[in-house]
Amino acid sequence: MKVKEICEKLGLDVHVQGDLDKEVHQGVVGDLLSFIMRTAPEGAVWVTIQNHVNVAAVAVLKDIPFIVLASEREPLQELIDSCRKENITLTSSKQDAFNLCGRLYELGIKD
Amino acid sequence: MSEPLVLELEVKPLDFLAAGETATQFKETLKSLGLPPEICRRAAIVVYEAEMNIVIHGGGGVMRLQVEEDKVTIMAEDEGPGIEDLELAMQEGYSSAPDFIREMGFGAGMGLPNIKRNANELYIDTAPGKGTKLRAVIYLNKGR
Ligand SMILES: Nc1ncnc2c1ncn2[C@@H]1O[C@H](COP(=O)(O)OP(=O)(O)O)[C@@H](O)[C@H]1O
Ligand SMILES: [Mg+2]
Repeated sequence: MKVKEICEKLGLDVHVQGDLDKEVHQGVVGDLLSFIMRTAPEGAVWVTIQNHVNVAAVAVLKDIPFIVLASEREPLQELIDSCRKENITLTSSKQDAFNLCGRLYELGIKD
Repeated sequence: MSEPLVLELEVKPLDFLAAGETATQFKETLKSLGLPPEICRRAAIVVYEAEMNIVIHGGGGVMRLQVEEDKVTIMAEDEGPGIEDLELAMQEGYSSAPDFIREMGFGAGMGLPNIKRNANELYIDTAPGKGTKLRAVIYLNKGR
């Protein structure tokens, strides 16, 4: 499913538009950066409550094109700037990580 | 590629805004040399974790990337406090990181284990008060 379709279906607030036509099939959830470094599949959507610039660094290193900040995190300016520079779609939601992942799963984003 | 390519970057202590930049630059370099994506991904993990250790624990230092025909070598050197018990530090989950760093998602105690999993060879030379020298080698023609 395309990044923009996921944004629409989940009602995400989009702060940075990366490649909205990119197809995403997998996801990863977590707030421990080393855990994401170890487990994130390439091209995945990443659901996290971490809201700082290193989130963008990890996304770049893991080829993650799409970040969802859960539980009403308003992204910090540095994170926004960094995602813009790296062409990463940065979004946020009022929903918590559990619910976001459930809805992603329903949309067919599995593993 | 007969002469090895060497890239050296300084890593500042506790500079979280810049943290990850070395890893990003090294990965870009490896990609532009046309190395296999799998090698780039493994090297990125090694560099990132070594860089974060210099930022968080090492009090700043230097990172070096060396690319030769058959291997990629990543070196991280600092003159920080050193590691007292290396066997303990290598254990999954062990971390001496303070709370404010853990709250940012660092300090999971998975850094050195992540490096070990992704490198074919890992050498760490460290002693209390003497700093830490880490060298990780990834061979292009071997798997993990
Ligand atoms: N460069 C370093 N200088 C001093 N201590 C270090 C260094 N790298 C690692 N350590 C020690 O080893 C521990 C484990 O490192 P690591 O596995 O990367 O986990 P983390 O960085 O999450 O704490 C650290 O908590 C720290 O005590
Ligand atoms: Mg570490």
